Amino acid sequence: MSMFQNLWAELVSEFTATFITEQRYLLFLNGLKTTLIVAFAAAALGVVLGFILAYIRTTYDQTGRLRILNALAKVYLTVIRGTPTMIQLLIMYFVIFGSVKIDKMPVAILAFGINSGAYVAEIFRSGIMSIPPGQMEAARSLGLNYTQATWKIILPQAVKNVLPALGNEVIVLLKETSISGYIALQDLTKAGDIVRSRTYSAFFPYISVAVIYLVLVLCLEKLLNYMEGRLARSDR
Amino acid sequence: MKKISRRSFLVAAGISAAMALTACSSSSSSTAASSTASSAASAADSAASSTQAIQTLDDLAGKVVGVQLGTTGDLLMSEEVGEGEDKLGIASVEQYNKGADAVQALLTNKIDAVCIDDQVAKNFVEANPDQLTTLDTAFAEESYAIAVSKENPDLTEAFNTAIAELKEDGTLDAILDKYIAKVEGAEGYTTPEGTEYPNGTLVMATNAAFEPYEYIENGEIVGIDAEFGKALCDKLGYELQIEDMEFDSIIAAVNSGKADFGMAGMTITEERQEQIDFTDTYCTAAQAIIVLK
Repeated sequence: MSMFQNLWAELVSEFTATFITEQRYLLFLNGLKTTLIVAFAAAALGVVLGFILAYIRTTYDQTGRLRILNALAKVYLTVIRGTPTMIQLLIMYFVIFGSVKIDKMPVAILAFGINSGAYVAEIFRSGIMSIPPGQMEAARSLGLNYTQATWKIILPQAVKNVLPALGNEVIVLLKETSISGYIALQDLTKAGDIVRSRTYSAFFPYISVAVIYLVLVLCLEKLLNYMEGRLARSDR
Repeated sequence: MKKISRRSFLVAAGISAAMALTACSSSSSSTAASSTASSAASAADSAASSTQAIQTLDDLAGKVVGVQLGTTGDLLMSEEVGEGEDKLGIASVEQYNKGADAVQALLTNKIDAVCIDDQVAKNFVEANPDQLTTLDTAFAEESYAIAVSKENPDLTEAFNTAIAELKEDGTLDAILDKYIAKVEGAEGYTTPEGTEYPNGTLVMATNAAFEPYEYIENGEIVGIDAEFGKALCDKLGYELQIEDMEFDSIIAAVNSGKADFGMAGMTITEERQEQIDFTDTYCTAAQAIIVLK
């Protein structure tokens, strides 16, 4: 019995040291806020970038237009997908914004957004390619031009198809922001790191951070399920 | 943690020259004294330039200070954030994973100053003499020791005996001459031929980005701690194996048995002592502030 009491007392003291002492819960809360802002702003940037890139790539594939832009898009995809996100983040912070005093948050958003854009581009492209060519042909034969057919017929169907993959990318992105600590941005992971460096105990800080990420991802999944269900209404 | 009040900062500033003399325990040797003279001269140079934005500790008010996560510089500076009687009023403290990252951020204008151990600061400034300088105010004198798990008092005891012997026979001074005083031709410590390791292996946890205490040169971890750790293990009949990791992971690694001891220019603090045992001190240091010229 006393063994359990000891264990309980230890848990309580670890919990106190992790969250209550020196108001450390504020570190976690602020870290959570930073993680959410970076992840969602980067996701928005990534979706916009990815959409533009996918549009350029498929337009070139199907019509032969936008040759130069397509070449640039290919280089972008190769470079971004071929190098680790952490290196991109460090280059963004220490090299590209090397000589200016700049807030770290926009730097992180830009780095993660540009990174995510490359993956989103391929997701959108696969969605556009998944629409049978007959759809485009039918639209064109009804008198729509290429741009109209793409926007009114192809893209609405493509977006519905890519939603699960897009959701996956947002989840990956959310977790990938955990490397923000490398540029001393105090995100959720860094908050756990800081608390551990003060309490010298890894259990509570890291488990707490893991649970918070898990809850965030569960919420995202719920939201995505709802969106998929909403879009599926038009299936039948 | 011991709170460093405003007053003790200023007192420390006044006796900074005396502090510099105690840079390391070998200060009695004439070689160390000569190196102190040269560093005092360079400090005088930097004070002469008036373009330097931060001249004293008080100028840190409203500024952003970079540190290495979990170091004493981090603990000290974090106490000085915000308004208050005893505080310097620092705007914020940014905790980088490596001291070098913090210095890089300073060089690229991301932050205003870096707080780090004085000998390490000296090396960073020597590497960038045109851009960096240290404030003429070293403070918070501290003692480095080896961290050993509380469950391993025998090892702490063995280290204490060996540290005393290596201090006595001049081995420690030889290593300090090589890395701190940088005496021409100082060879430091090399393992004597025929040394045997009947007791097996000891794993030393360190963070090899902390010149001159531990850093990577030609792919090997060298420095005061690496060489002194080797000397200690040789003396005790253990083979030394060095594990490089983040500084703030070292105590956790020792406590969880992933390493046998931690040696990384680690200062004895009350907070750390609650978690881990320290051996007798083998070196003393102080904190320094690096700023742009």
